[in-house]
Amino acid sequence: MKATLVSGSLLLGTIALGIFVVSASDSSDALRTRRALVGAEDEWASRAVWACDQRKLVVVEGVRPDQKIPPERAQLVADVLMDLMRFCNEEITVRIGTNQMMTVAANGKVYENYVPGGPLPIVKASFGEPTEREKSIWKAELDKLVAEGDRLFHSDEIGGNGVACAMCHPNASNTHPETYPKFQTQLKKVAMLRDMVNWCILNPLEGKELAPDDPKMRALEAYILAQRRGKPLDAGKH
Amino acid sequence: MYRNDMTRKQIERAFAERSAADQRLLQSLQNCDRRHFLRTSLKFAGMAAAASLVPSHAFQLVNVAHAAEGADPGVAFRFAYVSDSHLYARGMTHRFARAAVKAVEDVNALDPQPDFVLFGGDLAQLGRADELAFGQQILKDLKAPVRMMVGEHDWYLDLGEKWKEMFGPDHYSFDHKGIHFVVLNSVVEKDFWTAKGYTPEQRMAIVSGLDDSRQSSFEVGEPQRAWLKQDLAKIDKKTPIIVFSHSPLYKLYKPWNFWTDDAEQVQAILKPFQTVSVIHGHTHQLLTNRIGNIQFHGLLSTAWPWPYAPEGLPAYTVQMFRPDPFNQFDGCGDGSVDVLAKGRVNKHYNFWSRNPRQVTALELAGKSLPGGGYQGPSY
Amino acid sequence: MAAFRRGRRRGPGERLAFATLSAVAAFALAATAQTLVLPVPSGVLPPEVPADNPPTAAKVELGKKLYFDTRISTDGTVACVTCHDPRKGFADPRGKPTSAGVGGALGTRNAPTVLNAAFIASQFWDGRATTLEEQAVQPLVNSIEHGFANQAAVLAKLKTLGDYPSLFQAAFGSQEISTQRVGQAIASFERTLLSLDAPIDRFLAGDAKAISVSAQRGWELFNTKARCNTCHGRIDVLPLFTDDLFHNIGVGVKHIDFPAVARRAAAAVEAGKSIDELALGSAEASELGRFLVTREQKDMGSFKTPQLRNVALTAPYMHDGSEATLLAVIEFYDRGGNDNPFLDGGMRPLALTDQEKADLVALMETFTSSDLARFAELEKLAPKLAPK
Repeated sequence: MKATLVSGSLLLGTIALGIFVVSASDSSDALRTRRALVGAEDEWASRAVWACDQRKLVVVEGVRPDQKIPPERAQLVADVLMDLMRFCNEEITVRIGTNQMMTVAANGKVYENYVPGGPLPIVKASFGEPTEREKSIWKAELDKLVAEGDRLFHSDEIGGNGVACAMCHPNASNTHPETYPKFQTQLKKVAMLRDMVNWCILNPLEGKELAPDDPKMRALEAYILAQRRGKPLDAGKH
Repeated sequence: MYRNDMTRKQIERAFAERSAADQRLLQSLQNCDRRHFLRTSLKFAGMAAAASLVPSHAFQLVNVAHAAEGADPGVAFRFAYVSDSHLYARGMTHRFARAAVKAVEDVNALDPQPDFVLFGGDLAQLGRADELAFGQQILKDLKAPVRMMVGEHDWYLDLGEKWKEMFGPDHYSFDHKGIHFVVLNSVVEKDFWTAKGYTPEQRMAIVSGLDDSRQSSFEVGEPQRAWLKQDLAKIDKKTPIIVFSHSPLYKLYKPWNFWTDDAEQVQAILKPFQTVSVIHGHTHQLLTNRIGNIQFHGLLSTAWPWPYAPEGLPAYTVQMFRPDPFNQFDGCGDGSVDVLAKGRVNKHYNFWSRNPRQVTALELAGKSLPGGGYQGPSY
Repeated sequence: MAAFRRGRRRGPGERLAFATLSAVAAFALAATAQTLVLPVPSGVLPPEVPADNPPTAAKVELGKKLYFDTRISTDGTVACVTCHDPRKGFADPRGKPTSAGVGGALGTRNAPTVLNAAFIASQFWDGRATTLEEQAVQPLVNSIEHGFANQAAVLAKLKTLGDYPSLFQAAFGSQEISTQRVGQAIASFERTLLSLDAPIDRFLAGDAKAISVSAQRGWELFNTKARCNTCHGRIDVLPLFTDDLFHNIGVGVKHIDFPAVARRAAAAVEAGKSIDELALGSAEASELGRFLVTREQKDMGSFKTPQLRNVALTAPYMHDGSEATLLAVIEFYDRGGNDNPFLDGGMRPLALTDQEKADLVALMETFTSSDLARFAELEKLAPKLAPK
């Protein structure tokens, strides 16, 4: 799907701008152009915002790094970043001028007059999607955490009275993690999954609550969520 | 109209000669839609309770669609049950111990006392001698005689050695007031431990996990089936049979061992008999089924409730709503079974923290499913 | 109306001023029959008002007069205020475990507070009234309370009191005095007795200094080890500290043979005695609690979870007033209540330390409203209290 999108925009770019862009994976070019847009290190005078993939960067001219971006320009920043996510693994930098005109740098090239949603004739860089090897490593790591959660879920070490989570929740049935957040009547407030896990540890299991970032809590959550793969999210369902 | 010194029989006769108001109410129970029925039946139950029709702990909600229709079969006798106590030997303040004692107190408060008390299996949690002894000590307080049945939690630490020593054979039969009772060990598992070199404790831990798939499925097994055939050979086909079994004796949900591998074969042995009821534990919930001429009733646990299985729930079961974990007694309880004159049973669920429920032979035998075959969402 | 919006800090003075201002504004609609705006903070669900009884200033005036009028009793000594006195958090000022009515007749139950009762889903300890309108007229015909034989007798008495016809005219458009209107007027008055501004609310809105460190520990315990919050939790949109449900916690259960008592009470009901009479007149029937109303086994010995607002003002506690102090209440729960065959499975011993108990008491003291001065005018209407 990404391939069609890229080739689609490539085609559009060719037609619209009449520029034929050669795919370039020269990272030093990219860096140079990025630097040019961002400004030299000692002239860091503009506010920079990264996207969550750490590959898309928007530089907002006229806003100092310690200042908040005004709402309309912030919305534009967000629109730009979200739009650029269609170029999944690319490193792209956009500079938004004080006149709202935008300049894009990617793969060592500069493109003027970009608007979010508009054509951007960037060709995918080569380092692409996760490899099979990477995915299997990541899965092994997840399985390890889920297995630890499985072990804790079925053990009597979580509680203080020998009751295990699995006694009332075989295969994590009736845990319904996909329905959180919801008002949890036992807590008399809106709870997240881990709030309810802690409540169960404290009450039916007569144990000690876990800190939210306790590795045991993370493992339990991982196990519970893994049992409910494929269930649609349904926050607030009772 | 009703006096405290009346015997149960006198009360029932007095009730049969109903007042005009009662008659009108019963009339309104017929041919009404479900919602209206529930509202009026609650009123009816309140009146029945108020009229001290039923003794002590059993203020029973009448769950039958047509109370006035059909002859009241008449109750021949009653037995009570306590099941699935899953005791740890951690003293009387442990929540499972409190619950087991509560059940014993409930049964002892019954007036008149039941003919006997069935213990439905899983007395201990990890099959340990101290747990079994603790359970035996608690059950000793029961005034009525006790019939024991074994569950997998009692068995797999030492393959039943301690159980047999303390409570006798794991399968046996007896006759009582014209009914032939059979008690089975239906939690036999094919050996899964020797090849893997599991210790007894490991074996017990695996079996004690409902969702632990390393264990085998439950079965009655060929030796016991042979024994059953031979035991039933001398029984007249018209004699009512009541089977006590820990697992359901039908195939509900294999991953949780709500299952008996040779269920069809066991049912085939029972099929020739006119009236067969199976009372089983293990499932810790209100569970009802009917296969051919056999009616199946599950027992409540005193220790904790199970959720309903994701699939395979019998259409005859009207689910209990999921329990509140704040309340350690919710979804748990004990109860009793009325054995009717013709040998069928009415099953009373004495839920703690909820209104009691009754599942009657009449509604199970009916052609249409009770409540239109209600099936709530499995949770 | 942002007084209770989370995260925005306001000083206590500002909050008090704002609450007073809203209350004054509400009352300022005096001379009209326009529907009153009840003084409810924003973000809180308003009390449910029956469609046929929207509150108006005239109804409130009438209701207030009825509420304080001791002539509406057979011996001229009992009015609503007798057991629900503004000087004592709108509960019974006489300090006994249970309330007394005409001729000093002692009942079986402890009078709950009227303050904020409008937010509660049902009235009476056994929830036998689902609206304030229903509740207000039952004590009138209870021999232990106002003493009239029946509602007709109440109306006959009211008709002899000359000041009422014009008030009924103003409130309802005609001079007819009926039981329904009496209930509606008193309910309308009670719906103005709302107060949701206490230190605990300000603390939870973000003011870390609003309650003591001990009370803050108490709040943590309330929601964890002490297990209070499942029944008495404070819901942001309805901060009354009650789940509006009924639980058997074993108060007053000592050796009661529930089935036998139930049978006797049911026989009495069949013989024509009202539940209201039984609940207050028979000590053993009173212990049946909600069962008397629903006749369902699960309600045996169950009583309504009371609200905790202003709890520090309304001693003694429990439906029979058997716990004299807040500490005694904590210790009751610490024991796991009193065991009985119908004890709620949520009760269990808590193993609280002395410090933890003190923290919980400190917490409950922060549930006392800071704006009770609003009701100073009502205190003046209350009758002289007999010397102790």
